[in-house]
Amino acid sequence: MWQALHTELESKGLTVVTVALDVERDDAMPWIELAEPTHPSLIDTRHISDELFGFTNVPMAVWIDEEGQLVRPAELASIEPRPKGGSLPDDLPDRIKEVFTEIGKFQGNPEGYLAAIHDWVDKGSESEFCLSADEVVARSRPLPMDHARATACFELGQWHWTRAASEGVAKGASLKGASLKSDDNQAVAAAVRWWQEAHHLHPENWTYKRQAWTFATSTPGEAPDLLQGPNDVYDGNWFDDLMDQGGGAAYYDAPGL
Amino acid sequence: MIVESLTIDPLSFAARTGWEIKPEGMCRADQCVPLPDGASTAAGDLDLAVVAERLQMPLIRDEDASIWALGPSSGGRALASATAAELELEDADGNLFKLSSLHGRKVLLVAWASW
Repeated sequence: MWQALHTELESKGLTVVTVALDVERDDAMPWIELAEPTHPSLIDTRHISDELFGFTNVPMAVWIDEEGQLVRPAELASIEPRPKGGSLPDDLPDRIKEVFTEIGKFQGNPEGYLAAIHDWVDKGSESEFCLSADEVVARSRPLPMDHARATACFELGQWHWTRAASEGVAKGASLKGASLKSDDNQAVAAAVRWWQEAHHLHPENWTYKRQAWTFATSTPGEAPDLLQGPNDVYDGNWFDDLMDQGGGAAYYDAPGL
Repeated sequence: MIVESLTIDPLSFAARTGWEIKPEGMCRADQCVPLPDGASTAAGDLDLAVVAERLQMPLIRDEDASIWALGPSSGGRALASATAAELELEDADGNLFKLSSLHGRKVLLVAWASW
């Protein structure tokens, strides 16, 4: 989808750059290979772009003009119309039905956001969607000390996780699923501890949470568990945290177009 | 930013945080913060503990690993200015990519993840 947009608008002066917020590079690669990108396709194993641009969930994007100035801050970046929700099979577990109900409440205006990108590409700084420097800064999220501490804690967790990987135990089956609970590996235990702390300090940062949970809830050798359900490694999980924070309607901030 | 020592050379600090030493103190975008005595070592390095406190950056110690993590300056907004920070990351082929290499073009920088 992003590759298609890049192909469409590259000749008009727009470059799409995608950044995979994946601590494990190998988790991102199959998706990238599927997309066959000709645009810059980056892998951010330290989630450094969270800190530099204010990403707190995915998909989010910023707009940068020809002078290297941000003209829109981090905001929900969805360009695919959401499928119309049909009726759910009766035999689905109640929790799954509730998940779909909340997903149906996600904010966003994919058609409007895509039209805004085209408008910006056509009109440049004359586009009504191009914000002033002051507005860009004012619309970026507040950064209290607890959120700054969460950034530091996440990075400590990533440092330990990478250490475990370099010792050969964080790859593949051994560090997914229930084995994360074990205190046998000190590097893994330290990573979990720091990531848990980051979750407590900045509960609204879903990239820190979803990144950590996916390791705990995925089954070795199988596709990742995108629902990231209850687990005995971390305090939180996707659906219960979603509901704690206001449900599906509060999950994404729709771009103010 | 992970560090193994509480002193750092000012250029490395600036590259990672955007805060540069100027006659007025530590400056980033249009903001300058005077530095207290003791912020620089005799060798010209920055004392991270002093600088972090002044710039409201968390400096978190991991005792077991003997490292610290320095977080971003707090108290303001996620963006200190509208000037895009330099982003240097490896691409899918393992080549280093710099965001600044796209100067002169419009860029839509999109975050996604496998999870």
